[in-house]
Amino acid sequence: MGALLEADAICVTFGGLRAVDGVSFTVNAGEIIGLIGPNGAGKTTIFNALVGLQPLTSGFVRLGGERVSGLKPHRVAQKGMTKTFQNAALFPDMSVVENVTTAALLRHDLHGARTKAEAVLEKLGLNGIAQADVADLTFPQKALVEMARALATEPRVLLLDEVMAALTHSEMDEVMEVIRGLRAEGLSFLVVEHHMRAIMALCDKLLAVNFGRLLAHGTPAEVAANPQVIEAYLGHGAVGKEAAHA
Amino acid sequence: MFQALVDGILLGGVYGVIATGLSLVFGVLGVVNFAHAEFLMLGMYVAWFAWRWLGLDPMLGSVLSFIVVFAVGYLVQRTLIERVLKAPPAAQVFLTVGLLIVIENAALMAFGSEFRSVSVPYQVEGYRLGDIFIGAPYLYAFIAAIILAAVLWLYLERSWTGRAIRAVAQDPMASTLVGVDTRRTYALAFGLGVALTAFGGAVILPYITVSPTVGGQFVVLMFTVVVLGGLGSVAGALAGGIVVGVVQSMSTLVFPIQLQNLCLFVIFIAVLALRPQGLIKGA
Amino acid sequence: MRSFLSPGRVALLLFFLAAALLPFFVDPRGHLLRVAAMVLLFAAMAQSWNVVGGLANQISLGHAGFFGLGAYTSTLLFLKLGISPWFGLFAGALVAGSAAALLSIPTFRLKGHYFALATLAFAEVMRVIANSWASLTGGPVGLSIPFMGSQPAYFAFRAVSSYYWIILALLVLVCLVFHLLATGAIGYRLRAVRENENAAEVAGIDTFRVKLTASVISAALTAVCGTVFAQFTFYFDPDSIFALASISVRMAMIAIVGGLGTLAGPILGALFLIPLEEVANALLSSKAAGLSQFAFGVILIAAILIQPRGLMAYWPKKRHPAGSRGA
Repeated sequence: MGALLEADAICVTFGGLRAVDGVSFTVNAGEIIGLIGPNGAGKTTIFNALVGLQPLTSGFVRLGGERVSGLKPHRVAQKGMTKTFQNAALFPDMSVVENVTTAALLRHDLHGARTKAEAVLEKLGLNGIAQADVADLTFPQKALVEMARALATEPRVLLLDEVMAALTHSEMDEVMEVIRGLRAEGLSFLVVEHHMRAIMALCDKLLAVNFGRLLAHGTPAEVAANPQVIEAYLGHGAVGKEAAHA
Repeated sequence: MFQALVDGILLGGVYGVIATGLSLVFGVLGVVNFAHAEFLMLGMYVAWFAWRWLGLDPMLGSVLSFIVVFAVGYLVQRTLIERVLKAPPAAQVFLTVGLLIVIENAALMAFGSEFRSVSVPYQVEGYRLGDIFIGAPYLYAFIAAIILAAVLWLYLERSWTGRAIRAVAQDPMASTLVGVDTRRTYALAFGLGVALTAFGGAVILPYITVSPTVGGQFVVLMFTVVVLGGLGSVAGALAGGIVVGVVQSMSTLVFPIQLQNLCLFVIFIAVLALRPQGLIKGA
Repeated sequence: MRSFLSPGRVALLLFFLAAALLPFFVDPRGHLLRVAAMVLLFAAMAQSWNVVGGLANQISLGHAGFFGLGAYTSTLLFLKLGISPWFGLFAGALVAGSAAALLSIPTFRLKGHYFALATLAFAEVMRVIANSWASLTGGPVGLSIPFMGSQPAYFAFRAVSSYYWIILALLVLVCLVFHLLATGAIGYRLRAVRENENAAEVAGIDTFRVKLTASVISAALTAVCGTVFAQFTFYFDPDSIFALASISVRMAMIAIVGGLGTLAGPILGALFLIPLEEVANALLSSKAAGLSQFAFGVILIAAILIQPRGLMAYWPKKRHPAGSRGA
């Protein structure tokens, strides 16, 4: 049994600019992998490339041994991988439960999808706002609803793009608890997050990228100690500062 | 074959100027003006009346068309289009479609449905270059179009207002900060856009008759040119005009004349589908 | 869960009931009933348009293309091969649906202005072809359906009321289809696609297929309206049936004036606009050619400037299932 998700030398070029340059990594079932790097390092582009929103210039993506690169995003979602959007791309004209139901339609009929959506909202503790208009939500709530919508497609690998960006520490702890719970059920995560505290506490392994290239990978401690990573991203003793917080 | 190429270029230059106006309006205001061809019709009528009452040749009457339609366009922008600049596309589409219906039927009421044409001394004259015959009205219209295009280019490049128009097209917010009156600039751009098209309408009057529904003949053509050149690109519209003129002229060698529009449509859809940003990059 | 009999639905059912009884109270051969039939037919056309324009928010200016395909298909099948327009109705729906599918391939990525342009060009080309392919279509002269007295099997009746009831049934059918689409699984997907295409794809929605389905259904329903129109009016020509202003724009305008993407919107819009035009025509058309069309354009502009969300915006509501941008 190979890795669940495998990125094999993926490249994305925008008119001569190499936004992602030969990145390879694997994610095993039940793993939580963090993807870190400075702004503009190519993290969101990697996510888009994995789920099929951004065509690859070269390289392959495999999910459960099956090639998914070249497929449209809805096919990738069907194979079991989806992502959340950095700035919560909810459907603004729908209520919370309608947003989640829409995604649950991937694997259920309308009745089943509603049931599924309610179950997912319950799991994330969002049933109180199920009927709310998306426009009335706070930013952290939007991020959670977005996560619920992604979960409703019943993925094997979920890519989370800064879902904790606007959360307080206690809210962050709650979300991490949810993620750990889902991992215990066998779900794998690839996480982009700027909060080093969350990254260090949550992830089994880290991938550090800069200028579209993979700088380092390993356990959080190893990556955080990597001089190249410190140079590129953390710098100026940030490791010590974050460690003191944690 | 070579004859068709020359005919196409001569036609295409005028199409270019006609479509440049539409492209300018989209580039600056971000509004697709479905009523644009109606301003071509207005320009033709102004030139026709200038010929009839003042004895002006349409080549000179075109200047009058430019001025009159500029004023109309300026007013239309200030009273109507301005209100939907920030509205969703549907509102913009239907406002300009409403305008199309209003102008066309206003013309029908004012001028009647009959076709009107001018008679000028050079109408059937021409120049012979080897095997190629160049019709004088086509040649003069082409030359007038090229002169206007050059003037427009100079105006946009050199004059303060021209620069303001380009600045607003790129970044309305920043333009306001440096002291550009965006509302006035939008109205100028819209007026200029419809005036260019009206000018193009006037110079083709020696070989195309005018009626209230003449705009309909040019709608698909105009949008094909603009889409080819890239919506909002002025230079692209000129080049697109020549391409469309040549294609149209060449296609008459193969297809019956009524199916010219079909050829245009195929190009139009193909370009929209493959490269909505336009085939020809330009300023 | 909303109760089955919401005020909106009761109003709609009452409307259909009143409409069904109307022929018993007016002259069954009179002008008033013809106008009423036109109101219902245009409501059905606008509702067909609403599937693409309202649910998917793709502003089509080319539905006259499908309308004309319906009219031409059934009429030509009847005139050339003697096939009953009842079958022609389905054939027309099939032809228009296929045309919509073909047109979807190059245009499905297009939005807003670009989509409007492409569809407008489609209808224009249909008009040009109908005008120039005279050996098949009769060219600019148009097609006439011979008067045959009462032959129900051939979609021919003596009484206006028969056509009227058929048109009412068509409107009920189109509204039912719209309602099922709006509240069913595809309604969720269409709304998702309308709001954010990338997010919809990532959430597992085949955006191309969803849009294709909507545009094929919309085109097929529009074609059925075209067949019924041809049978009802006995005559049409390329310039009137593929017309931008009086067909494509009017369909869209009725839906927009009534309320884009809502079930009752097209009915409200047709009830408001068609009689208004009729009155304008009666009062103005003798004064000057073009005056009533001019008035139509003015109304369109005024409607957009006054209330871009349509008459339904004045209906007190919590949340409509078809989800116009509320609250």
